[in-house]
Amino acid sequence: MHIEIQYNPAHSLATVHLAPHESIRAEAGSMVSMTDNISVTTTAGHRSGGGFFGGLKRAALGGESFFQNLFSAGAMGGKVSLAPSLAGSMVVHELRLGEELFIQGSSYVAAPESVTLDTQFQGMKGFLSGESLFFLKATGQGPVLLNAFGAIEKRELNGELIVDTGHLVAFTSGIEYSLSKAAKGWIQSFLSGEGFVLKVRGRGTLWLQSRNPSEFGGTVGRMLPAREG
Amino acid sequence: MVLQSPELEMSTHLNAGRRAGFWAVITALLVALARKFLGGETMFVNRFRAPRGGELVLAPSLSGNIVQKKLDGQKRLFVQSGSYLASTGDIDAKVRFGGLRTLFGGEGLALLECTGTGELWINSYGSVLAIPINGAFTVDTGHIVAFEGNLDFRVKSVGGMKSLFLSGEGLVCEFQGSGTVYIQSRNLSSLVHWLSPLLPS
Repeated sequence: MHIEIQYNPAHSLATVHLAPHESIRAEAGSMVSMTDNISVTTTAGHRSGGGFFGGLKRAALGGESFFQNLFSAGAMGGKVSLAPSLAGSMVVHELRLGEELFIQGSSYVAAPESVTLDTQFQGMKGFLSGESLFFLKATGQGPVLLNAFGAIEKRELNGELIVDTGHLVAFTSGIEYSLSKAAKGWIQSFLSGEGFVLKVRGRGTLWLQSRNPSEFGGTVGRMLPAREG
Repeated sequence: MVLQSPELEMSTHLNAGRRAGFWAVITALLVALARKFLGGETMFVNRFRAPRGGELVLAPSLSGNIVQKKLDGQKRLFVQSGSYLASTGDIDAKVRFGGLRTLFGGEGLALLECTGTGELWINSYGSVLAIPINGAFTVDTGHIVAFEGNLDFRVKSVGGMKSLFLSGEGLVCEFQGSGTVYIQSRNLSSLVHWLSPLLPS
């Protein structure tokens, strides 16, 4: 399997080249186009991700869709193109056996079945912040396709960094995090417009996005007409 | 329109095709009304004429690309109606739609059948990818920009009945034959889906 990414940074498109009988699992609704010899099955969760209840847990906690589609190539192999909903880049991380990748819920796009996804519960603090602070934990082996809102920045961390929760895409194990206020006092934190931030420390890789979906949603949402009825 | 020289003359027409017959005009009007009410764009076009020459700058509303295509009078090009930006010469854009059901659910596949000789500009939401097809190929209806007229196409749901409702893929268009399909890397209905929970109550 080979994942080719075109048109970064704003309008990225990922094309998954599948060898004969290979398959890839992707977020519901992310399919753009596909070749003739690909079969699609819709599943709640996936073989290695806890089935129906795995899907339910992911949807409720992970901030992403309940259903995933499995694209399977026939004897000739084939191609599937995928894209996220928002403008931004995509990136592939080759997950190695023994490694853990924590993905912010809406940043996950696709992975083969050799990668297991599980939802990590982040505690009540996540609810309070108003921003989704749930991570999908990816383990196993294979390429993991991630999307960012805006451009994506990869950083090698060795030490400590403070990151806005809405700008975090993913990080590898070896990095620990704790939620904290942006400023010293509660009032200042609230007024700063930064809300909650993540204090990350340790050694590992970190992916950041140059735009914040909740901020974009807040700006555009206010300008939308009110719901009728 | 972004800007124009003052000497240009503008007039507004229903985009029913230049030599459209009575029924073509009625069809265009009905589709224009249906799309107006169902949240699509209207089918009216502005005609700019420059008796003494002049400048005209155009831009689409969404972020993306503009592709220029030359029509030689032989080939037809089907353009997804939201992707039609402008044309010159005697290019005729007739409304054709991929079945009534495609007008609903925000998955609109109202097509303009472009024929004639001239230049055609089509715009996309996201990047444009030209895919040469030889055989069968499936594209989500929300990602279609344009395709060559010699391709056969059929709108259907992806996978089985379960997938129709649960896959989140909505409707797809299955192409058959040999020709080029232009697809876009973003889908307007996905953005709308993302935005709709943000509507103030």
